Amino acid sequence: MFDRWFQKADVLIIVSVAGMLIMGFLALYSTSASTPQSSGGLNYFESQLIWFFVGLIALLVCFFVPPRIYADYSYGIYGLTLVLLLAVLLINAGETGARRWITLGFLNFQPSELAKIAVLLATANYLSNSDIDLNIFKNFFVVTTLFFIPAFLFILRQPDLGTAMVFLILILPVFYWAGLRGGNVFLYIAPLFVLMASFNFYFFLFAMLIIVAYLYFSKRSLRTGTAVFLINIFVGMITPVLWNNLREYQQQRIKIFLTPEADPLGAGYQIIQSKVAIGSGGLFGKGFLNGSQTQLRFLPEQHTDFIFAVVGEEFGFLGVFIGLLLFAIFLITAVKIANMQRSKFNGIVSIGIATLIGFHMMVNIGMTIGLLPVTGLPLPFISYGGSAMVINLSMVGLLLNFYRHRYEY
Amino acid sequence: MFIFTVILILLVRFLSIQIISGDLYELKSIENSVKIETKFPVRGNIYDRNGLLIADNRPAFSLYLVRSRTNSYTISRLGSILDLDLDDIEKKLRQGGPFQPVKIARHIDQVTLTTLQENILELPGLEWKVEPKRHYIYDKAFAHVLGTLGEIDENELDKTSEYEPGDIVGKKGIEKRLDRELRGRKGYEFIKVDAVGRVVEKVNQSKSSLPYPGNDLYLTIDAGLQVYADSLFMGRRGALVATDVRNGEILTMLSNPSYDLNIFTGPVDSKVWSELISDTLHPLYDRTSQSTYPPGSTFKIVAAIAALNEAIITPSWRVNCPGYYQIGRRTVRCWKADGHGTLDLLGAIKNSCNVYFYKLGLEIGIDIWSKYSNLLGFGSKTGVELSNEKAGLVPSEEYYKRVYGEKNITPGLIANLAIGQGELLVTPIQMGQFAMILANAGTYYRPHLIHKFQDKVSKTENTTQTASIKIDKIRPEVFDIVKKGMGDVVAEGTGGRARIIGIKFAGKTGTAQNPHGDSHSWFICFAPYDNPEIALGIIVENGGSGSAVAAPIAGNYLRRYFHQKGMFDYEKERKILYEIWKKKKQEEEDKLQIQLPL
Repeated sequence: MFDRWFQKADVLIIVSVAGMLIMGFLALYSTSASTPQSSGGLNYFESQLIWFFVGLIALLVCFFVPPRIYADYSYGIYGLTLVLLLAVLLINAGETGARRWITLGFLNFQPSELAKIAVLLATANYLSNSDIDLNIFKNFFVVTTLFFIPAFLFILRQPDLGTAMVFLILILPVFYWAGLRGGNVFLYIAPLFVLMASFNFYFFLFAMLIIVAYLYFSKRSLRTGTAVFLINIFVGMITPVLWNNLREYQQQRIKIFLTPEADPLGAGYQIIQSKVAIGSGGLFGKGFLNGSQTQLRFLPEQHTDFIFAVVGEEFGFLGVFIGLLLFAIFLITAVKIANMQRSKFNGIVSIGIATLIGFHMMVNIGMTIGLLPVTGLPLPFISYGGSAMVINLSMVGLLLNFYRHRYEY
Repeated sequence: MFIFTVILILLVRFLSIQIISGDLYELKSIENSVKIETKFPVRGNIYDRNGLLIADNRPAFSLYLVRSRTNSYTISRLGSILDLDLDDIEKKLRQGGPFQPVKIARHIDQVTLTTLQENILELPGLEWKVEPKRHYIYDKAFAHVLGTLGEIDENELDKTSEYEPGDIVGKKGIEKRLDRELRGRKGYEFIKVDAVGRVVEKVNQSKSSLPYPGNDLYLTIDAGLQVYADSLFMGRRGALVATDVRNGEILTMLSNPSYDLNIFTGPVDSKVWSELISDTLHPLYDRTSQSTYPPGSTFKIVAAIAALNEAIITPSWRVNCPGYYQIGRRTVRCWKADGHGTLDLLGAIKNSCNVYFYKLGLEIGIDIWSKYSNLLGFGSKTGVELSNEKAGLVPSEEYYKRVYGEKNITPGLIANLAIGQGELLVTPIQMGQFAMILANAGTYYRPHLIHKFQDKVSKTENTTQTASIKIDKIRPEVFDIVKKGMGDVVAEGTGGRARIIGIKFAGKTGTAQNPHGDSHSWFICFAPYDNPEIALGIIVENGGSGSAVAAPIAGNYLRRYFHQKGMFDYEKERKILYEIWKKKKQEEEDKLQIQLPL
């Protein structure tokens, strides 16, 4: 019954993105009210407005260039991106702290943002050109190593764990779309669950039972089954040993990463202030420009990581609901667009875009309400950030482009 | 499906934070940004009975430093000007927010402040605030009465919620006892601050309150007499308590040696403090109410009252004093080695004959003696408005049984007590009270220091009334007899050196032997003889005999007191004394001339 709505998918995309952008600009205006200016004499709001127009041009370009061209140039773009990522490491070598930018005159450019789309295009191109069966482990391994691991490692070195994680997350949905069977997806993520379960014997036992049950009912070959079983047992056994071999401060760091509230003066401070901001917003919020947490700057990183807390404080649950609704519309529409594609390349890229936006949203918002660790991923269309704005709008352009060309092969 | 789940989880979480726990977080957000600033009240002034200022508050300057605006040069300059530890300043700075003024020094004097103000351009981030500081007009004479102020400690905090950590409260004396009257009420101001502690605006004006100043206190003390009494001691250790016998108001309450109260108004220099603590003369000790001494012969009056009231003797009861007395195997001596000859009670009081009172003590017995000692206010606190008052010690039969064992209670003990020696211990304020009881023939008032309070704002006064106490177990005639004896003491007996021309009064000397060296010199008296107004209790530690040291102090003090009242004229006394001296000299010369022809 809803399917009829998605016949106008382009309208839904445009409306939801516009809505999120408006929300983002309102929130940025609010945070800018208490901070006179950012770099170059412009405040975050004004600076982001400029980036928006740059992004709009990028969107139009992405919309009008025929999809075929992207496939053709995807390897070139990917290569260029890797060079840029390497350049970031080399240029900023020796500097302490974050090394994420390349400075081009007056603006800073973040190649890791470009890498998201570049990896996606290159993978999609590779997977759509040849008939590669990803269910064969060798192929899985090759594609992963070719397209995901380099970007992951470069970005991890910057260091930017959050963004690096994006590339690992991207693998499974994209591969699934390209033909990886659900059962295999399960096998790939199984060790991750075993790792988490390994700290409690009964959880571990339970996880192993599920794996064994799956192996039995899926009628895998004995060889594969044994290998999978052994690998999971090994992961489960070695994790506590590795954990105990970590020094106490290292353990502490991981614990704080996972449960920041245990460190109320350090990492936990941000979470606590963010929750206070959101919670004090109540149902209708304190009103635009009236959030004390935001305006008095108790809320840290309010223009980037914790911008959704600004929405929560000043516009309340109502604002949060609208924001999440817009994201839901956008993501579902993006998946629908992926579904409509006759071209495999377009489909894979579309689902990749949905994954990227969705993951960012989940991690960022989950972080502001204390559900997920603080990783520093921005909220698409809402957080301050020039490169992200341009790339995100480009991806919107791609989606609209693919929607227009949905019947083409 | 997955997207729905994720969005739903997030929504539920937002719901729980914003709607279910919304109120809690709203409170937290208010706590975050709204700070309470305490406004301190001005402490009440202290005046003497005539409205003369004794203690008030003077503006003092406290220095603050703002971290975000200052630099290391400023910190090192301040360190050298104010003689502060640089690490200490930096530690304090780190404790506050970057925009928060942090107090680095209090009670800076005007000169230092002026120096700093002249160089303010080179000292960015430096601020100063005016804060009241206690100021005492008389540095030493009032030290023990007023007591000191200091920062509240943990034990004091437990007592009541009125106090908060960091409060300045009375530590001793009147300042401590009447802290609640003097301190006033704090005011509060609610201010909104941002994350770095910068003040944004004042909020919650309805809940804010202004500080209310403490009550002004009027003491019963006469500042002029207090200072004069201080001068009379001329550096000797001792105490003087003078009360108005008609209402129990303490006119003078002096303990010597003393200390400078103004040392304690700011942070106390640790060197000065340790010097005061280790001073063998114990200047911090209030001798009027916290030191106990054997009373010596002044206590013979108690024995006389007990014997007369119990009808053990009549005033005509006679004893022959050969200069010594045999109790059991011990021989005790009278202070007059030749002996006083045969004496009746009045003669014995006048001449302070030990032998007479040894014998009298044996007649009275320890039970009756200690009963009368207690009746006359000894062995219990007078209740003066000072903390740590001592009760002294009046030994009873039980006391001796406990200490010596039943068999060892000898007649020598009571004989010794009757002349005010032995285990008996009294405080100078008890002696002052005793003199008041004698003056009023058994009626007295609790000795007190508070005359009235006055609200600084409304000027309404609160005068304290002290009810009289009547010792009705002792017949007035008994008091009349000892009063007569004490009149003789001054007129022609051991207290002759207290005598002042024109005013007849009653007194009793005491020379208390003690293990700490020379005898303590005592004198108690009340004046005038008819319709007494004032009672004195005086001790000079290790001063020697009562007649030689304490009695003249009493005389001079009374001269000054009656001079103030227009009842005594220094000039007239000098003339009369000169006449007496001239007459005497003439007589001597006449005698010489008579002898010359021989």
